Amino acid sequence: MILRKSILRHIKEKKFQYFGVIVLLLISIMLFVSMSMAISTLDTRNQQFKESYHQEDFHFIVSESIHQDQLSTWEQNFEIDLEKRSYTDVDYKSEDTTLRVFSLTEDINKPYISEGDLPNKQGEIAVSPPFAKAHDISVGDTVEVNNQNLRVTGFMYLPDYIYILERVSDLVNDPKSFGLAITGEDTLTNLSSRSVSQVIGQGNSEEEVASFKDHVVDNYSLLRWMNADENPRIEFVESEIESSEAVITTLPLFILVLSVMMVLMILKRQLEMQRKEIGTLMALGYRKKELMRHYLSHAGVIGIIGSILGLLAGAGLSIPITNLYSEYYNLPSISYFDWDMMVLVIGFIVPNVVLLIMTYFVIRKPLKQSPLDLLSPKDVSKGKKSMLERLPFFKKGSFISRFRLRLLVRKKTRAVYIFIGVMFSTILLIFGFVTYNSMDDIVETTYKKIFTYDYGVYYNKLQQGDLEEGASPFTNAEIQVQQLNDKEDISIDQKVSIYGFEPGTDQIQLLNDEEHLLNDKAESGFVVSQPLASVLGLELGDELTIGNAYNDKTITKEVKGVANVYIGFSVYFQLNEVNSFLGYPEGVYTAKWTNVEPTESEQILYVENKKDAIENFESTSQLTRYSVMGIAGFAFLIGVIVLTLITNLIVEENSPSISLLKVMGYKDNEISKMVLNVFTPIVLFSYVVSVPIAYYSIDGMMTSLVEQTGFSLPVNLSWFMIVLGFVIIMVTYFVSLWISKRKLKNVSLQEALKKQQD
Amino acid sequence: MSIVLSNVNKIYQSGEVNVHALKEASIEIPNKKIVAILGPSGSGKSTLLNVIGGIDRHDSGSVQVDDHQLDKMKDKDLTEYRRHSLGFIFQQYNLIPTLTVEENVEVGRQLSQNPLDMKEILEKVGMWDKKDKFPHQLSGGEQQRVAIARALIKNPRVLLCDEPTGALDEETGKNILKLLQFVNETYGTTVCIITHNNGIGEMAHKVIRMKSGEITEHFYNEAPVDPEKVNWV
Repeated sequence: MILRKSILRHIKEKKFQYFGVIVLLLISIMLFVSMSMAISTLDTRNQQFKESYHQEDFHFIVSESIHQDQLSTWEQNFEIDLEKRSYTDVDYKSEDTTLRVFSLTEDINKPYISEGDLPNKQGEIAVSPPFAKAHDISVGDTVEVNNQNLRVTGFMYLPDYIYILERVSDLVNDPKSFGLAITGEDTLTNLSSRSVSQVIGQGNSEEEVASFKDHVVDNYSLLRWMNADENPRIEFVESEIESSEAVITTLPLFILVLSVMMVLMILKRQLEMQRKEIGTLMALGYRKKELMRHYLSHAGVIGIIGSILGLLAGAGLSIPITNLYSEYYNLPSISYFDWDMMVLVIGFIVPNVVLLIMTYFVIRKPLKQSPLDLLSPKDVSKGKKSMLERLPFFKKGSFISRFRLRLLVRKKTRAVYIFIGVMFSTILLIFGFVTYNSMDDIVETTYKKIFTYDYGVYYNKLQQGDLEEGASPFTNAEIQVQQLNDKEDISIDQKVSIYGFEPGTDQIQLLNDEEHLLNDKAESGFVVSQPLASVLGLELGDELTIGNAYNDKTITKEVKGVANVYIGFSVYFQLNEVNSFLGYPEGVYTAKWTNVEPTESEQILYVENKKDAIENFESTSQLTRYSVMGIAGFAFLIGVIVLTLITNLIVEENSPSISLLKVMGYKDNEISKMVLNVFTPIVLFSYVVSVPIAYYSIDGMMTSLVEQTGFSLPVNLSWFMIVLGFVIIMVTYFVSLWISKRKLKNVSLQEALKKQQD
Repeated sequence: MSIVLSNVNKIYQSGEVNVHALKEASIEIPNKKIVAILGPSGSGKSTLLNVIGGIDRHDSGSVQVDDHQLDKMKDKDLTEYRRHSLGFIFQQYNLIPTLTVEENVEVGRQLSQNPLDMKEILEKVGMWDKKDKFPHQLSGGEQQRVAIARALIKNPRVLLCDEPTGALDEETGKNILKLLQFVNETYGTTVCIITHNNGIGEMAHKVIRMKSGEITEHFYNEAPVDPEKVNWV
């Protein structure tokens, strides 16, 4: 159809408007496709790594040493595969940097070599790529580990350390201070006498594994048992893949809705402007469906250009995102790029179908009119006042303010769009600020105010006796939440721990929201961490029943407090009762909090260095800062596009009045104030309303993510953030006004005259 | 193509007032002739043209076009009637601003099962040289020529012209009238012109005069004059 030619020319004529909506659509599809493809590739890499390199199903550590013969017997009796592996934590160059060196395994948790070779001679090691990158290590280099020189034969990935964490309680890792390595058994023995021996295993069914675990619990002193689905080093990437679906779809969906709204607004305006053209075509004999097709093509062109560019940009962007994720999770690049057809199809079809359906309803309205109605000029507004205009303050004020108020009241739809645009940008901004701030809050509250110790020392055997001055003993064990008040059916995907401690200690200060010390409350009841309270919906006074993970003992206590410990699902209770609950003798402990760096080498399972944990957090806050800047940038861009599109349309719609005002002698600035600045109260109102909405929705979102992530981010909004957000939103608004002012300046003086002639 | 109107009435509701746009209008539009419908503003001549053109419906009476009665036709059938039998020319030309001269004419050509040749038509209306220009690059007279070419290329049996010279000066207006006469003589197209310019009646084969919705007079012009000699009012 020849009319098709007019589409591209029309788009060229209104290039800013069409460009704006195409960019919005592009951003929406690009975000969806890049995130979906990155996650899909990540999933493939994870699955392939897991299967091909035989990721463990569980591992455990017992006090006793286990011989190879014992393993073979167990393998036969329980139909499981077992392998022994040793590891030791050693200093790399300085005391601040730890390298966890594992012995090589043959069947389970097989290392993937990404560069170089496996170490097969004494004095050789292979290291994890993030550690190598952080310390500028190349294959073939000789490195000093624990005062010994070792040759680096290659870079390797371990299937049970996909998300590298020094301790399972950590959230993030700084490769500068912690890394992994593998080496032969002999080299490992030479490196340190403090190695820990663990058994790693794979089972065919959960039942077999469970019955094997029962056997171990009954016959050995089990220090740690961890199934793969409780292991954050394995689970983090899986829960990230699962939880990312909400992020992948929510944000792009919002932007899609915004862009569809903008397209509809522009097309509606276009149809109004082209009433006569439609009437002429109808009078000439064009059928309604031909005209419907023609006008749908406008939306179609926007949709196709936006979605194709979005798909290409998204596919391109997915590669660095995948690499970033893979680096973050330490996944080898087994597959590079997954062409997930479903993502491409959804990314293309959904936006186009939504756009076309919505546009259909907008076009249907004028096409329902007769050609005669369309050929006649649109009824001049009858000048009827709206309800709002009857309010007393309308009659007061200068002519300019009354003119502005009237325009505002009569352009309600535009006002609603501006309201939604500002709200969207505000929510994005506040989200960025809160996330940024909450990382600092975790460090400040959990690590500085509550955990006052410097080191958490975990032993591989039960300890007894006095500790050095200032040190405080505690017993730590895995538990199961069995009952809350009368509710028995409780399941938490994450591992729940109990800390039996001496409430009088200075090493841990359990503080609540009001900063009241809760240590004493742990004498007679449970004090729980924020994530556990959040997942279970715990309130003070609730009766909580917990079970021992290794036997059938249970204990029921009242919840006496919720401490601002934001990491981990933890229950704090007094030491003696915890020992009795776990079946340990009185006066023993499995760990200690201390301010003195542990020097003893025997019997230590691992040392939790708080300084490292804080450093890890602080190093990741840099990444968060970039994310916040990215989110703020997006919020700014989307805000500018939406607000400029609307103010541009307002100039276009009011061009006869603008021209007339110019003829009468009004200056551009005065006209701009009368026509453009009318929406300033809407922008302010939207911001004021959006801040609490953003706050509560982020709070809700954080709570819903607690179970997957194992930590709750404190959602605190400071006045500084509110003011900064306001400044950004106002800058966005004034940038869009500035762009539209240029259009206003270009409205010619003849415009008024021309319209009169029409 | 014979068009016969019998006792056609059309009432518009304007607020609380009923406006009788057509009152018992009965008339025949002779085939292959030029018909001028004359009358002042508000006399009902545009309503008459719209009813004949199937873009407006009358309230009572009948409009017979060959074997079809327009008042019995559905909207879809009226579209087909306009598509295949009629050509419309408007006072404000109503060209599509984003299409060139040739493309605007193409808009009409695509509707026809038996269109005329593009070059021939554009040459006949004197716009072949300007076929690649856009409407805003043309004068009013040139734009009206394009509108005529757009209506004509469909090879319609009836050309309905609503004040085709209303926005033009005398010289340009007469050139347009010459063109319409040429179309009538060359292609045998019935040309129906509504105008408030009484002088145009001198070139028509049949003149219909209207006032306040009624046909006050209609007669055949025995000696139509050349448009050049029309007394321009």
